[in-house]
Amino acid sequence: MNKREKQLVALSAVVGLALCAAPSASAMHVMEGYLPPAFCVIWGAVCLPVLAAGVVSIRRIAREQKKVLLLLAMAGAFVFVISSLKIPSVTGSCSHMTGTGLAAILFGVPATTVLGVIVLVFQALLLAHGGLTTLGANAFSMAIAGPLVSWGLYHVGEKLHFPKKLSVFLAAALGDLFTYCVTSLQLAMAYPSANGGVAASAVEFLGVFAPTQLPLAVVEGLLTMLVIMGMETYAMPELQLIGFEKEVKYE
Amino acid sequence: MITAVLAAFVIFSLCVGAMPVEAAGALGLLAGGLLLAFGRHSHSGMLVIDIYARRSRYFEWSPALKTAGCVLLLVLCVVSPSPWVPLALALILTVLTVAGRGVTLSHYLALFSLPAAFLLLSGLALLWDYVPVKEGVAAFPLWNGWLVITAEAQVRARLVMARALGAVSCLYFLSLSTTMPEILSVLRRAHVPQVMTELAVLIYRYLFLLFAAYHSMRDAAASRLGYSGFARSVRTTGAVYGNLLGTSFRQAGACFDAMESRCYNGEIRFLQREKPVTVPAAALFGGLAAGAVLGIFLAVRGGL
Repeated sequence: MNKREKQLVALSAVVGLALCAAPSASAMHVMEGYLPPAFCVIWGAVCLPVLAAGVVSIRRIAREQKKVLLLLAMAGAFVFVISSLKIPSVTGSCSHMTGTGLAAILFGVPATTVLGVIVLVFQALLLAHGGLTTLGANAFSMAIAGPLVSWGLYHVGEKLHFPKKLSVFLAAALGDLFTYCVTSLQLAMAYPSANGGVAASAVEFLGVFAPTQLPLAVVEGLLTMLVIMGMETYAMPELQLIGFEKEVKYE
Repeated sequence: MITAVLAAFVIFSLCVGAMPVEAAGALGLLAGGLLLAFGRHSHSGMLVIDIYARRSRYFEWSPALKTAGCVLLLVLCVVSPSPWVPLALALILTVLTVAGRGVTLSHYLALFSLPAAFLLLSGLALLWDYVPVKEGVAAFPLWNGWLVITAEAQVRARLVMARALGAVSCLYFLSLSTTMPEILSVLRRAHVPQVMTELAVLIYRYLFLLFAAYHSMRDAAASRLGYSGFARSVRTTGAVYGNLLGTSFRQAGACFDAMESRCYNGEIRFLQREKPVTVPAAALFGGLAAGAVLGIFLAVRGGL
């Protein structure tokens, strides 16, 4: 082997190692300080109207039924807790669920957005996932875009009379994948590649995170499905209380 | 382990071309070794940051000052056009945080392992570029083109990484010295919508209930071999999470009944201990912010 070939072998070994068993894969939070100031402000501005709508809707519901506020708080705590716990993973890396797909299916998008933003602040301060300057970008990908897709897919599945397990699985898994694509796109827009622009950069970011995110999406889908099944077995009154089961029965 | 290899490789990529290959390699190995020694990502399921915050000697400082000061430093880090300002801030704040006795250096570095994983993976994407013709300071052939590092990409990656490091250390200074309820009370005074702060206070209190419930469920399942094998662990995890959500709703109901019987009218207030702004705290944040502004000014003027 000449020198170049040796270098090539070494490089492929390193990249291969990095890609096959990537380190702790949290749910793709953009870390603190990673985005340029303009992007922090823009993503924050994009999220504000949705967040405001969520606050207004929660405030209205809470005024009529004070108990709902406590249920939402519990749901927020639940999302935080499962996002901080290790789940079984294929590659041996540490993976965490996002849980926002589950929340979107159970509570709808506006409530999930408000809960998601609070949970993101908690994650930044208590777990060091994500950050304060990147709160807007993370909120957009995890608390708005992902839940919207999950919620939409779940309801499309219901309309098409898919088996409920399938529509829950698809909603959670694809919502997770969409979150990951949006995050990659956000990173690419902030740091476009010198040669290929945003598109090339997006492919690069998708590539480096794919090995951790693709299995994670499948596991997240499976777990969300199991959680819903488990709750239908053991916690029917609670599901009816939040309007999840009733909604399904009437359709 | 993987993080360490990745760190060594990324640091090497950052420095190659700017210094002799041997030096770049040594620096990369050093960074990898450090991460290997300290970079443990724990899953104790406890909020360790909250515990460290209560131990810290900065816990007595005014939370409003700490929050405002850290956010100001954070913004200065992110807008800095030169990598040196955030790097200096990261170093100073790391020393200060560890000197605050809330957290030991090894635990502090372990906290860095999670952001480090993100930083390193995305650093790969920032540094390496796939182009049809060979260029830049380092290149490897791949199919019909080249994987290259250009000098511009290196400069950009260095700036991004420095900013991120500085920003994370600002965030850690805040979160390792201020507990969540104090930050929430600051937010309430800053006129964040009441629904949000109240939800956040409730969420914070429920976290501990849920963690306790989760631990007993997990131990019960583990003692019955619920986590042997991948398929079974997925099934057990799903069942535990579902049960946890059901339990949490039941507890929320019990909480509501208890609060209702104590005249809950949709508003929750807690007594806060007064923590006035002290001179050393104000001087520290003032000094750091002034230094950062001066650094940024010099960088803009002199192209540092």
